[in-house]
Amino acid sequence: MKSYETVVIGGGPAGMVGAITLGSKGVKNLLLDENDTLGGQLVKQTHKFFGDHAHYASVRGFEIAQKLQKKISQNSNIKVETSATVIGIYPNKTIVYAKNGKEFKVTYEKLLITTGAMEKQLPFINSDLPGVYGAGAVQTLMNEYGVIPGKRFLIIGSGNIGLILAYQLIQAGVEVRGIVEAIGKIGGYAVHAKKIKRLGVPILLNHTIVKAIGDESVSGAVIAKIDDKFKPIPGTEEEKVVDTICVSVGLTPLSELAEQAGCEVEYIPQLGGYVPVRNEKMQTTNPDVFIAGDLSSIEEATTAMIEGKIAALEIARILNGANIENEINEEIKTLSLFRSGPKSAKIRAGLEKFGISIEAVPNVESHGVQIGPVGKLRAIVDCTEEIPCNSCEAVCPFEAIHIGENLNSTPVVDYDKCTGCATCVTACPGLAIHMLKEDVEKSKALVGIPYELLPLPEKGEKMWALNEDGNYVCDAIVKRVVKYPNKTNIVYIEIPIEFSRKVINVEFPKEESPFVCRCEEVTLSEIERAIDSGIVDFEELKRLTRVTMGPCGGKNCKLVVLGILSRKTGVPISKLSRGTSRPPVKPVEFSLFTKNGDPK
Amino acid sequence: MISEASVVIIGGGIIGTSIAFNLAKFGVKNVSVFEKSYISSGSTGRCGGGIRQQWTSPMNVRLAMRSVELFERFKSDVGMDIEYIEGGYLLLAYTDKEIEEFKRNVKMQREEGLNVELLTNRQIAKKFPFMNLEGVKGGTWCPTDGHANPQIANIAYAMAIKRMGVELNTHTSVESIDTQNGKIIGVQTSKGYVKTNVVVNAAGGFSHEIGLMAGVDIPTYSERHQILVTESVNHILDPMVISFQNNYYVRQTMHGSFVMGQSDKNPAKGNDLGHTVEFLEEMAPKMVHDFPFMKHLHIVRQWSGAYNVSPDAQPIIDEARNVSRYIFAVGFSGHGFMLAPAVGEAVAEMIVYGRSKTMNISNLGISRFENKIEKEHNVV
Ligand SMILES: Cc1cc2nc3c(=O)[nH]c(=O)nc-3n(C[C@H](O)[C@H](O)[C@H](O)COP(=O)(O)OP(=O)(O)OC[C@H]3O[C@@H](n4cnc5c(N)ncnc54)[C@H](O)[C@@H]3O)c2cc1C
Ligand SMILES: Cc1cc2nc3c(=O)[nH]c(=O)nc-3n(C[C@H](O)[C@H](O)[C@H](O)COP(=O)(O)OP(=O)(O)OC[C@H]3O[C@@H](n4cnc5c(N)ncnc54)[C@H](O)[C@@H]3O)c2cc1C
Repeated sequence: MKSYETVVIGGGPAGMVGAITLGSKGVKNLLLDENDTLGGQLVKQTHKFFGDHAHYASVRGFEIAQKLQKKISQNSNIKVETSATVIGIYPNKTIVYAKNGKEFKVTYEKLLITTGAMEKQLPFINSDLPGVYGAGAVQTLMNEYGVIPGKRFLIIGSGNIGLILAYQLIQAGVEVRGIVEAIGKIGGYAVHAKKIKRLGVPILLNHTIVKAIGDESVSGAVIAKIDDKFKPIPGTEEEKVVDTICVSVGLTPLSELAEQAGCEVEYIPQLGGYVPVRNEKMQTTNPDVFIAGDLSSIEEATTAMIEGKIAALEIARILNGANIENEINEEIKTLSLFRSGPKSAKIRAGLEKFGISIEAVPNVESHGVQIGPVGKLRAIVDCTEEIPCNSCEAVCPFEAIHIGENLNSTPVVDYDKCTGCATCVTACPGLAIHMLKEDVEKSKALVGIPYELLPLPEKGEKMWALNEDGNYVCDAIVKRVVKYPNKTNIVYIEIPIEFSRKVINVEFPKEESPFVCRCEEVTLSEIERAIDSGIVDFEELKRLTRVTMGPCGGKNCKLVVLGILSRKTGVPISKLSRGTSRPPVKPVEFSLFTKNGDPK
Repeated sequence: MISEASVVIIGGGIIGTSIAFNLAKFGVKNVSVFEKSYISSGSTGRCGGGIRQQWTSPMNVRLAMRSVELFERFKSDVGMDIEYIEGGYLLLAYTDKEIEEFKRNVKMQREEGLNVELLTNRQIAKKFPFMNLEGVKGGTWCPTDGHANPQIANIAYAMAIKRMGVELNTHTSVESIDTQNGKIIGVQTSKGYVKTNVVVNAAGGFSHEIGLMAGVDIPTYSERHQILVTESVNHILDPMVISFQNNYYVRQTMHGSFVMGQSDKNPAKGNDLGHTVEFLEEMAPKMVHDFPFMKHLHIVRQWSGAYNVSPDAQPIIDEARNVSRYIFAVGFSGHGFMLAPAVGEAVAEMIVYGRSKTMNISNLGISRFENKIEKEHNVV
């Protein structure tokens, strides 16, 4: 039976970095993974990762895997076994794994378990119908095998995984009819949510799936609003016509092997479920067994890699007596810093149960969106949520973007230094940066939009400019398309200056006319038809088509309508009548006026 | 803009455009309409859209019945769907005195040929189980009353008359009327002078002022009426419901929203188009009381418009005594929209034949104010 100084189970980012670190410290190790390529979750991820630039942030997931694979193949202390599924851990430190239909056994001195996590299930009526998938399965089918299992998707769960899946599905050219989320706020990062909202995907908060519909496979889904006890509210049911339902309601650690290896396991919901108890150096209650990555807490690739490194360094220290305390403490500090932001509050609370306390940084700097000097070609950074990421700061060749030591701070742009080079636009994993330059004299604005869809538009092409909700704003002309090796290309469009702060996306004009007014469901072509029939007065247009007359009072679409009128009549927007504003500014219930709150 | 018109119509509201439509149908050429703002900018674009035949004067009943005939054909005649629906009108009575009055009205209305009946509280409750009918003794019900979208109706007429060759000048106001020896010779507009011998005053809230331009003192004045609209919800209410006692009218549009209003205690005079919070405070409790489901209904917007009022709250349709071929169709209070199709027809006939043929509207003449005034009662 072969014996190794250390065996690593699980070849995701945590295990790979663990093996690389062990190897670099002279510890001979075996890395086992059940898949035929290393990388774990990374392999399925076609998007650019968040995180610390020093830990591959802004690199696409599968490319991180490739980089790590290269390092592993260059390290002679690492032996890799892929397509090797560990089926159990037995007495006398014996690991049994299956490969090519054969049984293999190895023993270890130290064990690093990095088996990651699996998707949680969600029970609903007919959830066993073909067409109901876990998000991971869809990603595997799509991103590894190039198979898309449907045409119209509904996604359950608005965590980062659900949001990213929605984006990837749209990139693959299928329709996402919506994302339903049980709680009252979006689970994932705001930038991920914005990315898909501006592609027109609605995110329905306080909603759940009631049942899947279909005889042999999914042909629809019934969703409903839920009350504060998560019970569907009768009468709010709504049918969505979809052929695929993706459940993405979170991950839970795969802790079985750790249990078999004699580690104590505890249920800590903040960390994702049953997790092995461990100390700051990733050592479990069995001193010979270490863990890292999603197995220890459902988190991020960056934290998985740092944990893998910490565990490996500690193993090397114990095995070789190497004097690397300082190096370990540095990594622990980096990890704590990463987890000090508001988005890591849950993880901090969970780790607290192990006696690991991480100080939250109360004064993480958060800034609103800066507009910068009008007229100059510049980057507009719409990143106001404190998430651990610093790609933009790291890539800027002119040091014009500042985040600082704590990468949870939001970026600040120094517009004196910004040259409009757009490097940050293509680097940002959240696609949260775009370029802007106004030409006041010509009343035009140039907007540079990060674009990851295919095909790319061409110079001179007429497109639709969209707002943050993916709604049509105005027509746009493509001025320039700049391709980048990382595939986040930039499409520069020209639009009327009035819309310079509204436009955040472009799409090819569709055959179906876009909705200009969502409240009243008035389309662009209805408006254009009315104008063509001689209704050139905004007030008449409004009364004839109901545009701007809905509950939002035209807040969302009045300017768009005026823009269309202006384009068709040649009268500048400033010269058009824009109607009278009437109370209430926001719809209010009748009951409000039956209860006067003024002191008598 | 043409320099010479056979007829100049002042006002592009529902009345002015309906008159133009009927003139064009008669084949009258070179008709010119002047509207100082956009189409439906006046009372028409602000109105409740109710179409009712249950009036207390036989003249009003007859005119409204003729209008209903024309509304039924509006889509094919004028060429646009105006959300017209015959959902009925329910007028509520709370006292024996009101019931007695309603009985008399029903008798007269039936004599005029209107299908109308008196309902008991219980009959109303059966028809409209969602209403709180506390204190209601009964009501009258006419199933062929109804409502439509007045703004679209106004625009429909405007588009039709343009197609038919009428010159429609929006954003053009009439500044003065030129007369010579009791005859009209032209009008001065903000965009130039037009020669004409025939002028129609259909200026709604400004009818008195436009009268004075030709030296005609029309006894009308304007006052502000407020109105509101809610979010749209599933359809539940077919008719327009009016409670004179509680001082409201309400209807649900085809689109699902509820439109409702009242008569303010001291309405602002003239063409003041402001809005008050008292209006909402007065409307809310009574509407929630009579229609409990409205408690959580959202108010989306409030606005106001002018009622152009004559001494008896009935329209004045006539030719001036002292200026020949100066015709006016004004003073419609809260019912000019519903009467517009019939009034348009009558006024066009007056211009073409010298008198209205289809309907005898002789008692809507201006001379009636020389006698005792019999006021229309059923107004909100
Ligand atoms: C859609 C999606 C988007 C994400 N986006 C980001 C991002 O933008 N930035 C970021 O930092 N993180 C992101 N993450 C999270 C990140 O991918 C994970 O946190 C990270 O992959 C965890 O690494 P890991 O090594 O712990 O586990 P994994 O990557 O899950 O690897 C575990 C490996 O162990 C193998 N394994 C399990 N059991 C056995 C067994 N019995 N025998 C053999 N092998 C076994 C598994 O097959 C797998 O290959 C994302 C995750 C998802 C799903
Ligand atoms: C709140 C409210 C609710 C109502 N509800 C109902 C209802 O339910 N049913 C019903 O039948 N009626 C209702 N009415 C009444 C109805 O709106 C009017 O009677 C009708 O619209 C009058 O039409 P009009 O064409 O005479 O006037 P308007 O629509 O006011 O048109 C007159 C036009 O003349 C123009 N004008 C004025 N001066 C000049 C000038 N010097 N030069 C050029 N143009 C000029 C004005 O700009 C205006 O557009 C309601 C009214 C209000 C205010």
